[in-house]
Amino acid sequence: MTDERPPTISRRALLRGVGAVGAAAAASAAGVSAETAVAPAQAPAAEATQPARTAPGRVVYEQLSAEEADLLEAIADQLIPEDEHGPGAVAAGAVIYIDRALGGALSDSRDAYRGGLAAFERYCRSSRGAPFRDLSHVDQVSALIDVETGAATGARAGFAGSSGAFFGMVRSHVLQGTFGDPYYGGNRDFIGWDLIKYPGVRTAVSPGLQTALEAGELKPNHRSAYDADNFEKAVVSNATKETHHGD
Amino acid sequence: MMRATHWMPALCAVLGMGTAPPGAGGQPAARTILVESPVMTSGDAMPRTYTPDGPNLSPPLTWTNLPDGTREIAVMCSDFGAGNPAPWVHWIIYGIPATADGLPEGLPILPETSMPSELAGAIQGLNGWRRPYYRGPAPPAGTPHIYHFTVYALDQPLGLQPGLDRQDLLMAMDGHILGQGDLVPVYTRF
Repeated sequence: MTDERPPTISRRALLRGVGAVGAAAAASAAGVSAETAVAPAQAPAAEATQPARTAPGRVVYEQLSAEEADLLEAIADQLIPEDEHGPGAVAAGAVIYIDRALGGALSDSRDAYRGGLAAFERYCRSSRGAPFRDLSHVDQVSALIDVETGAATGARAGFAGSSGAFFGMVRSHVLQGTFGDPYYGGNRDFIGWDLIKYPGVRTAVSPGLQTALEAGELKPNHRSAYDADNFEKAVVSNATKETHHGD
Repeated sequence: MMRATHWMPALCAVLGMGTAPPGAGGQPAARTILVESPVMTSGDAMPRTYTPDGPNLSPPLTWTNLPDGTREIAVMCSDFGAGNPAPWVHWIIYGIPATADGLPEGLPILPETSMPSELAGAIQGLNGWRRPYYRGPAPPAGTPHIYHFTVYALDQPLGLQPGLDRQDLLMAMDGHILGQGDLVPVYTRF
């Protein structure tokens, strides 16, 4: 079959295409910070905001293998791609966020990623004849739809439970890594917040700021919530993971 | 090749369903349209290509014996052995020009991709997943399901908007169906 990719694909359309309703909602919600920023109880280590690198452009992953990270990047790039509105999930460091979080607040999901990514790759090979990264754009979207809807569950690819649960987990974490507070290791350079025109956390809003916000003229302050002294830094513990993490 | 007429009734009895989908709007029997495909026949297995075990392309269909006066065509793919309530809808297309004599393989799943020129004006409605494109059979392993690709000939262009689901379309077509026909393949996952 032919690749249906037109010259440019809008982010909004791709989110629709793979049913990333949550992402679309997050991207359009004015109060997105309260909805998508990871709660302090879910925080991975604070040092995750500065991932280690061996050479320019090459990230050292701590939890994901290189193959897993490459596949996860390709998936994230379909969920929130770079387009005419700006950079997407990959540039925002969503995969780095997930990698670091899998060593901390999301450690309970490590096996689900290991098994799910392997099953997803097997599914792409058995159904479309190639690894996900080698598929055409439309076949990538099609494969993701089948995983999201659960249609891939019965394809004997080895998904543990529903393929839709795996998709939902990945989508949720990609959203966190793109639109969450940069303190948690994603949303690099405030790419996610700029994408949805979120002006940033403010502990006090003057009438002038409110007027500017309503007029769409409020400049982003590009500050993490944790840059303010009155926010406590997150502490990760097993108790908080069990209590508050909800993927 | 085993024909549907030989074993479909038994299969359908096992599955607790009829061999034909209910008529739309309780209309009197309309002229039967002959629905065929170059890739499958009624009673035979659908190729994996048209399922999530393959690339999940929409299958090619052809139709003949349209009633005189056909002004527009609609197509649905339904599984009357699934859904709560049944059927589970895999595909809906409406607004198909009466000049069309079928559907090519692999209609768009991306909203940016336009329909083929011979289907200008046709709209893919919402399937059971509330998505405006084809998604093929994914029945539970070991359980054969039958899939009704139903073609409706309509007496006038209905001018329908995007976003209609099965119920919406059936209501819109009520009183306008000149004829209909089915292609009824089977799919089993192992």
